[in-house]
Amino acid sequence: MAPPAGKRVKGVQVFRPFIYGTTARPFDEKTNPKPPGVPDDHTHSWTVFVKGIDDVDITYWLRRVQFKLHESIPNHVRMIDGEKGKPFTISETGWGEFEITIKLYYVPESSEKPQTLYHHLRLHPYGRNEEEKEAMRLAGGDVISWVYEEQVFNEPYEPFYDILTSGALPPGGSLSNRPKGGGKTKGGKGGKEQSEVAARSEGGVLERSAMIPMANRPSHPFSRETEALEIKKLKEAVAKVNDMSAKLAAELERKNQKLAELKA
Amino acid sequence: MASHDLRDVLNLPSSDPARPAKRQKPSAPRPNLKGLAREVQNLGGDNPISIVPDVSVFKKRRHASRKPAARWILKPFTNSARDDNGALVLRHWRRKTDDGAPPEPVHDGEGGQPADEGADAAPDADEPLEDSAFAKYNVRVQVPQYSEDQYTANLESDDWTREETDYLMQLAKDFDLRWPIIWDRYDYVPQPQTGEADASDPSTAMVPVAQSRTLESLKARYYEVAAKMMAVQKPAQYMTRPEFELYEMMQSFDPAQERARKEFALNTMARSQDEAREEESLLLEIKRILARTERFNEERRELYHRLDYPATDADINSFKTSAGLQNLLQNLMTVDKSKKRKSLMGPMPGADASPQTAVPGSAVSEPPGHHRRESIAASVTGGGGHRDSLGGTPATPIEPTSAAAAAAAAANKKKGAPPPERRKLTPIEEQTYGVTYHDRLGSGPTFRYEKINKLFSHKSGQQQQRINNVLTELDVPVRLTMTTAAVSAEFETLWAAVIKLVDLRKIHDKVDAEIKVEEAKRAEVARRAGVKVEPDAAGEAPQGDAAPVDAAADGGKGGEEEEQAGAGENDRVGALARPGSSGAHKRSASVLSTTSEKSTKRQKK
Repeated sequence: MAPPAGKRVKGVQVFRPFIYGTTARPFDEKTNPKPPGVPDDHTHSWTVFVKGIDDVDITYWLRRVQFKLHESIPNHVRMIDGEKGKPFTISETGWGEFEITIKLYYVPESSEKPQTLYHHLRLHPYGRNEEEKEAMRLAGGDVISWVYEEQVFNEPYEPFYDILTSGALPPGGSLSNRPKGGGKTKGGKGGKEQSEVAARSEGGVLERSAMIPMANRPSHPFSRETEALEIKKLKEAVAKVNDMSAKLAAELERKNQKLAELKA
Repeated sequence: MASHDLRDVLNLPSSDPARPAKRQKPSAPRPNLKGLAREVQNLGGDNPISIVPDVSVFKKRRHASRKPAARWILKPFTNSARDDNGALVLRHWRRKTDDGAPPEPVHDGEGGQPADEGADAAPDADEPLEDSAFAKYNVRVQVPQYSEDQYTANLESDDWTREETDYLMQLAKDFDLRWPIIWDRYDYVPQPQTGEADASDPSTAMVPVAQSRTLESLKARYYEVAAKMMAVQKPAQYMTRPEFELYEMMQSFDPAQERARKEFALNTMARSQDEAREEESLLLEIKRILARTERFNEERRELYHRLDYPATDADINSFKTSAGLQNLLQNLMTVDKSKKRKSLMGPMPGADASPQTAVPGSAVSEPPGHHRRESIAASVTGGGGHRDSLGGTPATPIEPTSAAAAAAAAANKKKGAPPPERRKLTPIEEQTYGVTYHDRLGSGPTFRYEKINKLFSHKSGQQQQRINNVLTELDVPVRLTMTTAAVSAEFETLWAAVIKLVDLRKIHDKVDAEIKVEEAKRAEVARRAGVKVEPDAAGEAPQGDAAPVDAAADGGKGGEEEEQAGAGENDRVGALARPGSSGAHKRSASVLSTTSEKSTKRQKK
């Protein structure tokens, strides 16, 4: 680890969205024939990956990723060095699910220690109901288990801060020459969303930014749309819980009264 | 050297008797030769060497054009810059151009004496006289014009009358804003305002005092008028850039400053060599003093830093015991030792050896204690001092240039402010790069989901179970789909609400149980007081169906109601393994205990 260069930028938090997870596909004579040399009992081919959202480059903050697979797999600890613009991936075949340890190593400028994520390899759709199971299945029969995550850098060192806050926009942040995105705003975040729209180049997200796509696209399930949906869901849940607590509180009140009566 | 000279040297008799006569002869054709040619010629002596070419030099023929010599004419001209309306006509020589000045050749054709004709023609043709080429350099300045109304509306001044302002404007126009001349010629004599009164009383004739004006006051007035008129003609917001700059400049004219500047310049010019030298040395002195105070401040700050105890957010409980302290001491000692070793050959190797030897013997002895304090201070400055040295280095040289000193001072000032100034991000940039600002942050990389994970892991296993149950009821997946900042915030509110609900349920169950106990008690009391003893009362009473009949009827009914309500609640909430189940368990246990109590009592009976 390089000695800390400069000092930390106090009170600042910078985040970068990224996706990690697995994509599995059962072997099939037609669509996914078993390559030669694969043991007979292997039923699936699968891929574990760490990548930027909307497939943007993340190697400017993530230097390498260590995937720790199941011990039964030969060479089960694999170090993948970042290649600009490419995701960190490992493809394997197997028959069983297990937990993959994903260790993220940051670029040397960050002077940060590696962090660990755990991900369960899914070969079979899993869910509490059919609907949820179906959600894990892509059109081609792939079983996906993707996780959206945000890498939060709290008080990054100055050189790293400079890296994280440059590259996406022309210096000075002037956006006058940038075409405005479709003024599509969703509830939940109001004004913040609005300015986000202005900052977005048409289409996807800017390289080296912390932006999230506006809308879902096939095989890109994570976007502001999904976020808004989730927020809505959570808000409803909060309302429901509050409702339940209110009812319960009222009942409790009554019971307390009754208890007092009884005790009297 | 000629042949006769040789003969002369060798004392040979002159071969030529008629020498003098001959000598005169050849001298005639020779004299034209120059330089080397002549020398060579001379070598030949009296018999000229024939190889020397006899170059005849002619004047070079001029290859100039065979055109007739250029003709010059004396042309009259006026100068439009003069305001005598062309009264003065001067003449100057001009080359006569055949085609350039068409009227003349056309008129005169190919006359024998063009020069004469040209001279004649010019006045005859009554041609518009040529304007002087220098007339264009006579540029009149634009002096602001104002009408009576405009003056009264904008330009009124206590110090300046309308007349004097006019006079100033006139002078400015006359002398083209050459201020020294304007000032020199400025001699305004105010008109006696009350002419009649003065005239009627000649004995007390007021001699108006000519107010002497300084150059600066003249300028100030002029610029004031000019700026105001400019603004009147064109409001400031419509001005073009150069116009606005001019306007700004005129508005910001400060006569006092101008005067001070001139005075300063005058002083600078007037000082003697010695004075200049002294001034220089004083300046140096000041710089030195400034640098010293800077360093002094620096040291003081460092001292304050040292006095500050190191803020720690780590748990200090482990140091509260004497064993913990001992441990800390040892740690510090080793840190200290390694530090000392690094700076080996320090000023006092003996001093650092003694604590080292003292360590194993008695860790609580005096020298290590002293040492410890020192090392704490060292470690404190080790953290903060780094920053200081970064900003402080430019200030250390004794004689920096004044600019450098100023920069260093600025840097220090900046450093004094708690958040170090860095490139300010625009809101858009902050959005794009995902930069947010927080009061308290644990530094280092984390994942957004970690926070939510912590919410879970901070709860006990049983509570986690309950919370998970509630979340399942709500159909909220335990793992969020998109853990953005907004989503996590939302989840946290949900979390708080769920915790509240779970707590409420716990209390609710407890109260339920208590009610049961109370009811059972009542039933018991009633049973004891009442005559009939139901054989099945012990088992059935708590259940509420075969409620005690008489005295406790009310309570029993209430209990039954309660029970149903509770069951309803259970159904509504979902018949999953919810906290209620454990509560129910407890309740049944307490019920059991009460029943057993009852039965024992009955047995006693």
